[in-house]
Amino acid sequence: MLTVAPPDALELRSNATFEALMWALSRPGDSREMPESGLAAIAETLVDLECTVFADDPALRSEIAATGALVAEDISQVDHVFLSSLEGTEVQLATLRCGSALYPDDGATLVANVRHGVGHRVRLSGPGVDGTLELTLGISPGFWAMRAMLCAYPEGFDMLLVDGRSVIGIPRSTLVEVL
Amino acid sequence: MTLSSLTKPWAATSYGFLDASAKRELRRKMLKAIAVPGCQMPYASREVPMARGWGTGGLQVTLTLVNPTSTVKVIDQGADDGVNAASIRRFISRVSGASETWDTLAASIVQSRHRVPEEVMREDQILVLQVPNPEPLRGVEPNISIARQMHADADYGKLWLTLYEQIVRKGRIMQGAAYPSMVNGRHVMTPSPIPRWDVPKLNMAKHLTFLSAGREKRLFAVPPFTRVEPLVFSDRPYRVEDHADLTCRRSGVSGYFMNELPIDGGGSAFEVSDSNLGIKAIQQSEGAAIEVGKTWYRNGEFSA
Repeated sequence: MLTVAPPDALELRSNATFEALMWALSRPGDSREMPESGLAAIAETLVDLECTVFADDPALRSEIAATGALVAEDISQVDHVFLSSLEGTEVQLATLRCGSALYPDDGATLVANVRHGVGHRVRLSGPGVDGTLELTLGISPGFWAMRAMLCAYPEGFDMLLVDGRSVIGIPRSTLVEVL
Repeated sequence: MTLSSLTKPWAATSYGFLDASAKRELRRKMLKAIAVPGCQMPYASREVPMARGWGTGGLQVTLTLVNPTSTVKVIDQGADDGVNAASIRRFISRVSGASETWDTLAASIVQSRHRVPEEVMREDQILVLQVPNPEPLRGVEPNISIARQMHADADYGKLWLTLYEQIVRKGRIMQGAAYPSMVNGRHVMTPSPIPRWDVPKLNMAKHLTFLSAGREKRLFAVPPFTRVEPLVFSDRPYRVEDHADLTCRRSGVSGYFMNELPIDGGGSAFEVSDSNLGIKAIQQSEGAAIEVGKTWYRNGEFSA
């Protein structure tokens, strides 16, 4: 008789974190709860030795390096970007990988700490949003302008915005209007 | 970094059969599939103890999603008791400890071969469709590199042409299953060989749909509230199968997708294809307190 191996702590955490990320990207603008706060849990769930990663936080960088992932300094080379803040990063992120119409999956995943519920009001529409959705995010209008320039659907990058344990997903398919 | 720091403690089996790196790869691809609805994302498609072509793609997605609190329903052409469906369901629950169910309303994950359940799926449910051929352009362009370029260019003229030719030759569109559908106005996908009856259920649905082809190593997704429009000409409206007036000979329900069974001496009898809906109807008629959920089709008419 085969007995079920119970999931270990890492698997339980990754499974729950992924579920939060999956629903966050499926329903842009909806906030989901992750089992742990911070970017490290997302890195642990998604990143391994098949990935090339940029992280601005030295502690996170060493954690990511320990997974076997290649840690790069050049944002244009990486598939996952972890930023402790989005402020003043427009110029740096303008080189973010957006894939191509042939291979949209080459577009990067941007994971960043962003305050939910404060800052600028935006209106979201597109797949996963029933009509339109308005919310407030601590992201400057300049960033959204940069994103609109880069995301020529199906090219683009996907965002996971983390505030403590909450995560909000903005995939490239979402139209963001700054109000 | 040393080799030992990359090594995990020994375990007899991985939880959910797939190892952690297989799951991480699938998770990355599933997120990208959600971000670009209907676009086929390549993935590694690991070995599972089942032959390719028997639902390995759907199984890998389900094994990635599943946890001990999940409730899994697996259907094969609408039936929960088919050998393939029963084997997959038992395998998933054995390697993950997830509960099994036949009831669409009770399931958190529904893995399906070639049908979408008749009861409306909720916003917290996930539908995993097994896909034999993920490439809608294969019939018109066997070279996958050229087909990829055609997807990149949104060049679907040849698909429209096959539909037009069917109308010219036969007077109507003959495509019965896997009806090519435009997702989010950009990528044409095959909704897996579900009947035409089921395609409208994916349009602006509340649930999340993953479609995964294990043999072909590609997966794609339809997020909630995403447009899924069957390719039709404006003067030839999309038609589903004429099953609205058929009645199930066992349960007596009518207005749902039916299986046609030949009977002695010619003619046919019909049984409802979503077998658990039939079971529920029978139990209800026998006085059991069974809840039948709201269905996508009411009196044979689609009304989401």
